[in-house]
Amino acid sequence: MDKGIRWFPYFVLLAALCLIPLLFSSYVLGIASEILIFSIFALSLNVLVGYTGLVSLGHAAFFGVGAYASSLIALHFSDHLMITLAGGFIIAVIVSAVIGFFCTRVSGFYFLMLTLAFSQMIYGLVYRWGSLTGGDNGLSGIPKPRLLPSFRIDSGVSVYFLILIVFGVVLLGLNIVLRSPFGQILSGIRENEVRMKAMGYNTTLYKIYSFLIAGGLGGVAGSMYSYFNGFVSPKDVYWTLSGEVLIMVLVGGVATLIGPVLGAAFIVILKTVVGSYTDLWMLILGIVFILFVIFIPKGIAGIGSLRKKRAAGASVPLNAEN
Amino acid sequence: MKKHKLLYFLLLAIMVFISACGQGTQKTASNEAASSDKPKETAQQSEQPKNNGDAGNKAQETVKIGAILPYSGVYASLGENLTKGMELYFESVNWQAGGKKIELIKEDEENDPQASLRKFRKLVDQDKIDILTGTVSTAVAYALRDEVNSKQVPYLVAHAGGDDLTRSKRSDYIWRSSFNSWQIGTSMGQYAYGHIAKKVYLAAADYAFGKEVSKAFKKAFTDAGGEIVGEVYPPLGSNDYASYLTQIKSAKPEAVYSFFAGSDAVRFVKQYEQYGLKGKITLIGSGWLNAEDIRPATGNSGEGVVSTMFWDYGMQTPENKAFVDAYEKKYNSRPSIESVEGYDAARMIVEVFNNLKGDTSDKKKVSDEFGKVSFASPRGPLKLDPETHHVIQNLHVFKTVIKDGKTENEFVETVGEFKDPGK
Amino acid sequence: MDVIGIQLVNGLSYGLLLFMITSGLSLIFGIMGVLNLAHASLYMVGAYLALAITHYTIQNFLLALIVAPLLVGLISVLLEVFLLRPTYHLGHLSQVLLTFGLAYVIHDIVRWMWGADVQWLPLPDWLGGAVELFGQTFPLYRLVVMGIGFGVAAAMWILQEKTRWGAIVRAGLSNKEMVGGLGINIKLVFTVVFAVGGFLAGFGGVAAGPILGLFPGMEFEILILSLVILVVGGLGSILGTLIASLIIGVVDTFGKVLFPQLSLFIIFGLMAVVLIVKPTGLLGKQVHGNG
Repeated sequence: MDKGIRWFPYFVLLAALCLIPLLFSSYVLGIASEILIFSIFALSLNVLVGYTGLVSLGHAAFFGVGAYASSLIALHFSDHLMITLAGGFIIAVIVSAVIGFFCTRVSGFYFLMLTLAFSQMIYGLVYRWGSLTGGDNGLSGIPKPRLLPSFRIDSGVSVYFLILIVFGVVLLGLNIVLRSPFGQILSGIRENEVRMKAMGYNTTLYKIYSFLIAGGLGGVAGSMYSYFNGFVSPKDVYWTLSGEVLIMVLVGGVATLIGPVLGAAFIVILKTVVGSYTDLWMLILGIVFILFVIFIPKGIAGIGSLRKKRAAGASVPLNAEN
Repeated sequence: MKKHKLLYFLLLAIMVFISACGQGTQKTASNEAASSDKPKETAQQSEQPKNNGDAGNKAQETVKIGAILPYSGVYASLGENLTKGMELYFESVNWQAGGKKIELIKEDEENDPQASLRKFRKLVDQDKIDILTGTVSTAVAYALRDEVNSKQVPYLVAHAGGDDLTRSKRSDYIWRSSFNSWQIGTSMGQYAYGHIAKKVYLAAADYAFGKEVSKAFKKAFTDAGGEIVGEVYPPLGSNDYASYLTQIKSAKPEAVYSFFAGSDAVRFVKQYEQYGLKGKITLIGSGWLNAEDIRPATGNSGEGVVSTMFWDYGMQTPENKAFVDAYEKKYNSRPSIESVEGYDAARMIVEVFNNLKGDTSDKKKVSDEFGKVSFASPRGPLKLDPETHHVIQNLHVFKTVIKDGKTENEFVETVGEFKDPGK
Repeated sequence: MDVIGIQLVNGLSYGLLLFMITSGLSLIFGIMGVLNLAHASLYMVGAYLALAITHYTIQNFLLALIVAPLLVGLISVLLEVFLLRPTYHLGHLSQVLLTFGLAYVIHDIVRWMWGADVQWLPLPDWLGGAVELFGQTFPLYRLVVMGIGFGVAAAMWILQEKTRWGAIVRAGLSNKEMVGGLGINIKLVFTVVFAVGGFLAGFGGVAAGPILGLFPGMEFEILILSLVILVVGGLGSILGTLIASLIIGVVDTFGKVLFPQLSLFIIFGLMAVVLIVKPTGLLGKQVHGNG
């Protein structure tokens, strides 16, 4: 495929996103910012779930670690953007290295439960370590990131563009990485790990790499969320957030690049819209999930025929017998 | 398969219909109530000339009140009761304040700070509210604090009781009409030493608010000369208190001070009896341990519980009797602590708008006006401290007794007036 | 010594309560390979149906203990036939999403029907008493629950090991195609297994009602805990689930007393250790040849 054509849709998407602050109110801008943050988060999880075939129910751990690390650095050390962002990323990578080391030894349902266990332990730590994390009250009053001594990214529009730039880098970066030979190896592990082993690949090592990418980018999403809200709470580490982001990936479409973005947009908008019309939003959300499984099992990205082939090719195993 | 699909659509249609109905009764409550009151308006004009005096030319204008309250999840019943209290008061003034029509916009707190921030932005950016009220969770109130402050939205906290909100996190735009953990814990700490026990075991749910209340109790109780013989902090939402209760019993205290609310309170009180502590070791705590909405579930297990609170159903003041009558007539159920909080918050907001004659253009002026409000609430004399922005109120002692086979709370005495020290 | 003894009984009774709730989940996952995230929701439905029965018809707890789980079993049949059966071919991840959606739906329906207030399932007087144990007061009903828990475990063991149905089910566990080839209606087997699982969940809900209380949200508290037990015990092993339930119950009880600061870690730490040391759980079967 011609390179220019391949990149074209992404640039159209990013250009369109640039126009949002011009066209819409600050309320819509806020929702758009949240969608982009959760898109980064869902994209990061999709590296594990979609491309490597490892279904994690503990991805909020990295989101939370990134958010708390950035916030604590901003509160106690420096509120410079590069320092808080790098801090969130590096600490998330370190944590995912530790968790990944243990989790990649098991697969299927056991992987799901082990990631859940680790994320809940981190939740317990955050909740318990009140003197540092503020316990269940969370951390508030986090200063907005500073880019230059005199320039602080504090307006809604500037935070949005910061998030948009990071989103663009993540999207295009993943596009390159996942199409590279490295990405092919990950897909190979998803399809048949035994064969990849037989071909001489150290699959455990590749699974850890995949875990590091997912965890690090999850941390970046968390950092973005702390910039956006100026607040973090243990809810950002809780398993319900892990479940929500997994649903974003599934609803959007696994193993596609655009799927998690569509899923994040769909879930955030659905929650916002339904939430302000009825208190029974869980009922509506639940029905939507069920309808998705029955009628659109390949996710939103699977609806278009263009992407059908790739989406259909992905089958994520979750049986214990792997 | 085709048959199946048809079935699902049918199911979906039914669900949507159901939820639409549920929504119809919930979200449009303010409009319904307002419209059903219209015929009454003329009848009441003679009684309320002050309110309707200049209503004629401003009748179309509205003041918008945004309320972020839990309508789903474990705190849903608190949110519902707060809303009922608010709507009862608004109805009593015909949904009029400062000559304008009151519009109440409700958003679900979801017990989630991040979701609440999203709702807050919607209320401010899209609905352009004049004033914000609500939030049950302290974490949510803390999360909103900075944006409330920078966007200069007057915010009357109607429940969340974390101390810092009117101390280190104090804002010119934030006031609190409900309570704080210091008031709840200190009142019992002062009372318990002279009246109940010298040796007390502390048991509180392990979260920030529970810790704050027990800390306040501990300080007041030990300052008075009492001794804490042990402390235990079960996680929030604990299933089983058996091991804690066994531990408490073997420490042989004279009383147990406990801070639990909602389902935790019910489980604790129930299991307290099942493990044979009831009647041997006095159970004392905050009013959420024997609240109106808890006692039906705890049944006779709650007998003998002594608590301090700013209000209870059984208070015999004329203000409270009028409130209880009106509430029971409208909703056919008893008011809870949260109903009173909602009722009082609504009254404060209305009085502020009345004093300003509906002029909400200067947000700072609106906020400052809260410091001047004072009235006799169902809970007693009520005013806000212009210094700390926190409510000044009396705290009372209540004891649960059995009357006609059911538990009731009996008013014992008033501990005194509590004004937060502000630090 | 007495305190340790009574705490041990506390832990065992809590563990057996958890076993009653988790056994159905284990059965369904073991045999059907479906991770039913709505399982705890069925537990909640059971408790609320029992509340309705004791409230509106004859105030008979024992009647509710039988009728409510049967109703939940019936609901399970409908769910299996209309929701799960058409989606088996989509794979496990789809079922996770499907059953999670179902849990959301059931949560709101229960809240809509019974309200958000906490409620309590009343016990008859003859069950509400207390007994002396190790010189301490111990609720009689908890002893009864222990007895019922062991009874359920024994019944499930007999059903699985000694009856024709058990043989079919065990065969289905190791090779679904073969069972189908033998002329046994595997669809029917699945429906029955799901119904039995639902019955057990409902039964656990009724039994737990007088100890834990009822409120919307009670199901999510139990869901995570029962998933932990499922994993620690090992997939597809009723005995493993029983042992894991007892271990979790006892560890949780003593953990609360000895290390109150760590109460949020202990259960998940235990699970992580078990998974790292023995990834198939305590008594899980390693099934080969399918990867």
